[in-house]
Amino acid sequence: MIKRSRGSFTILFFLTLIVFLSVVSLFLTDDLTEERIAFARQAAIKRMLTALFPEMEIYDYDDQLRVYKIFATGKWIGQVFMVRASGYGGPIDIMVGLEPDYSLRGIRILSHRETPGLGDRITEAAFLDRFVGLTVQQIALTRDGGKIEGITAATISVRAVVDKVREAIIAKIDKEK
Amino acid sequence: MRCLNKDFSAGIIRFNPIFILLLGLCPALAVSTSLDNAIGMTAAATFVLLGSNIIIAVIRQYVPKQVRIPVFIVIIATLVTIVDLLLQGFAPALSAALGIFIPLIVVNCMILGRAEAFASKQGVSRSIMDALGVGIGFGWALALISLIRQLLGTGSLSFFGQQLLTIPGLVEEPAIIFLFPMGAFFVVGLLLALFKWLEAKK
Repeated sequence: MIKRSRGSFTILFFLTLIVFLSVVSLFLTDDLTEERIAFARQAAIKRMLTALFPEMEIYDYDDQLRVYKIFATGKWIGQVFMVRASGYGGPIDIMVGLEPDYSLRGIRILSHRETPGLGDRITEAAFLDRFVGLTVQQIALTRDGGKIEGITAATISVRAVVDKVREAIIAKIDKEK
Repeated sequence: MRCLNKDFSAGIIRFNPIFILLLGLCPALAVSTSLDNAIGMTAAATFVLLGSNIIIAVIRQYVPKQVRIPVFIVIIATLVTIVDLLLQGFAPALSAALGIFIPLIVVNCMILGRAEAFASKQGVSRSIMDALGVGIGFGWALALISLIRQLLGTGSLSFFGQQLLTIPGLVEEPAIIFLFPMGAFFVVGLLLALFKWLEAKK
């Protein structure tokens, strides 16, 4: 039972001590996990690249253009780049896979903070498959004249993803063509 | 031993965190849209509850009572962040499944509630039993709410990708309202009424 009541110096000291211990343990955990988290993220990226380009043999990250160039049988078969949309719960990191002719190979969600059960359905195959093979003009919700059907009760998340993917591809085409 | 058993079973029904103590309602409303979510949330919350109950029971004699709440909150928040980082680093698959629930645990007043009402007054072993009991109580309550919401809201029941059953007629035109927050309030409110009624009848 906590019953002792103490002077303000002890209280201040105790609070400082607790916060200090908390900072130290967080620092140690971060130090311990930093490398592994980066490694796990790299593995997740590789898994998603393979999901977008199953025939991929090697990939190469281009620092300048900030894209993953995908190669198979010695030929360049497409590229994958990352964009960040702002969803309902926070940033959504999206990987966008493009064919050499800038049509969409597909997208994958790398990380997000959308509501479980509603917004997080943007990670489901049923939704991601709707992007496959679209041209840039078709990447919009059906109600906006595009070809992508939304998800009930997840409009904000879906719109964030769809609009960001379209804008990013348009920006990319403008820059490179 | 008798005492430990009682601490364990109390959280499951008699002092069920959701239906009786009304603690942890906001995460319960937020994630009870599917059974998978209910189980993920329960696992993550129980783990943090166990950790915070143990730490707080250990240091309970030294905590000045005027600042106990900020101290508990710092401990819980630290624990949640550590769990988040460890999962990301060492169990990325689990982290991908549970990741979105982990920040929700910080605002789970069930954990702070047990720290204040139990762990700050009792020994370590009793606090462990309390955490486990309350965790299970939270789990079945969440599962029950999700079961109803998922069934009515989608017309079918799936469990980690496995389709368990579908209700013909409802699956084509599901009552989506049950997936929305207001549906959660309906279901939780009716269940609370049911449990109050059962309690009064006894």
